[in-house]
Amino acid sequence: MSVESMQAIGVETGGTVTTSKKAIVLNVSREKVPEACAKVAAMPGFYHLSTITALDLGEQIAVMYHFWKGKTFAVVKTLVPKSDARIPSITPAVPAAVFYEAEVKDLMGVFFDGNPYMKGRFVLPDEYPTDAPAPLRKEADPAKIRKMLKLE
Amino acid sequence: MSDNTEGPHYTESSAGLMEYSAESAMPFGPVHPSLKEPEYFKLILEGERIVQVMPRIGYVHRGIERAAQDRTWVKNVYLVERICGICSFSHSLAYTQGVENLTPFEIPKRGKYLRTVVHELERIHSHLLWLGLIGHWAGFDTLFMWIWKDREHSLDLLEAITGNRVNKSYSTIGGVRKDLPDGMAEKLKTEAGFIEKRLDYYEGLMSSEETFTIRTRGMGRINQEVTRRLSTVGPLLRCTGISRDIRVEDPYAAYDEVIPEVMTSNDGDIASLVTIRLDEARDSCRMIKEAVDKMPSGDFKVNIPRAIPAGESMFHVEAPRGELFYYVKSAGGSTPERVKIRTSTMANILTGVEMLKGHTLADVPVVLTGMDPCFGCMDRVAVLEVDKGKEWSIGGEALRRYGIDYYSKRRGNK
Repeated sequence: MSVESMQAIGVETGGTVTTSKKAIVLNVSREKVPEACAKVAAMPGFYHLSTITALDLGEQIAVMYHFWKGKTFAVVKTLVPKSDARIPSITPAVPAAVFYEAEVKDLMGVFFDGNPYMKGRFVLPDEYPTDAPAPLRKEADPAKIRKMLKLE
Repeated sequence: MSDNTEGPHYTESSAGLMEYSAESAMPFGPVHPSLKEPEYFKLILEGERIVQVMPRIGYVHRGIERAAQDRTWVKNVYLVERICGICSFSHSLAYTQGVENLTPFEIPKRGKYLRTVVHELERIHSHLLWLGLIGHWAGFDTLFMWIWKDREHSLDLLEAITGNRVNKSYSTIGGVRKDLPDGMAEKLKTEAGFIEKRLDYYEGLMSSEETFTIRTRGMGRINQEVTRRLSTVGPLLRCTGISRDIRVEDPYAAYDEVIPEVMTSNDGDIASLVTIRLDEARDSCRMIKEAVDKMPSGDFKVNIPRAIPAGESMFHVEAPRGELFYYVKSAGGSTPERVKIRTSTMANILTGVEMLKGHTLADVPVVLTGMDPCFGCMDRVAVLEVDKGKEWSIGGEALRRYGIDYYSKRRGNK
C-alpha cells in the first residue's frame, strides 16, 4: 500500500490524502465514497475491510471505512452534516460492509442508501425509543432515555 | 424465486441476505419484525436444504462503546476484557496497545514477551474449547470431555500467571500487571509439551474416526470468492488458502521475534478448520516454549500518565477467531472520546450464512460451530419450510440429537 496509489485514487475521486503513523487517510465527499471504497478494495493484494467507524464531531459526523493490508490501514473518510446524515452504501462493491453500515445506522443514526438492513433495528433492542437520538451521539443522554423507557 | 404471490417469496441482495415475507407480497425487512421468540438464526428450507439464513444479532448488546466514554483509560481495560470470555485477553491487548500508540512511550521487551505468552495460552484454550465443542455437536461427548480436561492445563497456567482463568486483567496501559511467578518458566515449557502431545493424539483421532469425519469432511465448504467478498477473518479465511495472519503481517507484542507459522488449507470445509485449529494450537505450544527461552529480563511495564495525549489510533490483533479491531480516539483527557470495537465473530457472520446454504438441518450444529461463533447461537433456531409454508423452532439440544440420529440412520443403524 503506497501513498502514491491512494493519491491516484484521490485524484480520480477529488479527495485529499493525509498520512499518520499507521494509516493513510483519503478524505472524500460523501457522493464519492462508493467509488473510492471500490477502488481501494480493488487494489492489488487483498484489501480487507476491517470495519466502519463513525465519530460524532458536533455539527458533523465523520464516517471512516478502514481497509487493511500489510502494516498500513487505508482509510476512506467522509464528513456528513448531522441534520442530513446520509451516505450512499458501498455494499454493491464491498458486500462485507453490510453489517458495519447497519451498526453505524443503529448507533450513530447515519442512513446508508442502498443497504438492505436499513429497516428495523440491527444491534439496538427494539425497545429503544424511536424518537430518542442515536445512542452514540453526543446529545443522547442516558438519563433521559431511561425516563423515556419509564425505567425510573 | 417463486412466482406465487400468495405463498412466500423472496428477493436477493448483494451480500446474500434477503428480505422475506411469509404472509403477503410485502417485504418486511430482513431482521426482526415478526419473530415471536428470540432466535439467532432463521433457516429457510426448500425441501430438505437450507436456501437462505437470516441472522439476528444484538442480544448481548450492552452499550460498551458508550460505557467506555464514561470511564477512565485504565478502567476501560476491565470493561473491554469482559466483552468476551474466551478471547478476553485479546480485547484488553488490542485496547491497551491502541492506547499506548497515542503516547510516546515504548513498552519494555519483557512486557511484550509476557503478553505474547498469555496471548498464545489464550489461543490454546480457545481452540481446545472449539475442538471439544465440535466433538460435542457431532455426538462425541467423550472426545468433548477429554479435550476439555486437557484444556484445564492451559487454564491452570493462566490462573497461575495472571490470577484468573477468564477475565485476566493482565495487560495494562504500559505493559503487564505482574511478572511470572517463580518456577513458572519451567512449568510453562513442561505443560506446553504435554498439550502438544495431547494435540497429536487428537489429530490422529479426529482425522481417522469415520463417524466424525463423515460429519466434517466436505461440510460448510467455502472458497476464496466468498472470503474475499465478505472480508472473512481468522481460521475461516485461512481454510480457503489465503495466508493472512496479523501476527505475521503486522506484528505486535513480541511476534517480530517469536514468529508464528501461518496455517492454511485449500479445502475450505469443517475438516480443514479442525486441522487448522489443531495446528495453530500446537504452534502456540511451540511459541510459548520459544518465548520462555528467549524471554529478556528487565522491566515488564512502564508508567504512563493518566491523561492520554489527543489523537486517534487503530489497532488490531489476531484473536483466536480472527482479526479483532479497535479504534481509539483521545481528546487529551482522562476518558476516551471514542472507542470502536469490531469483534471477529461479527466479521464472520455472513460467511457463516454462506457455509450453511445447501445443507440439511442435521448438519446445522457442526457447520454453525465451524464459524466459531462467540454467542449462544444455538439456543434456539427458527426454521421456515418454504414449500410447506410451515414455521417452527428447535432448541440446541434437540437439534444436536437430530443430527446424531440422522447420521446414525445413514450408517445403517435403525
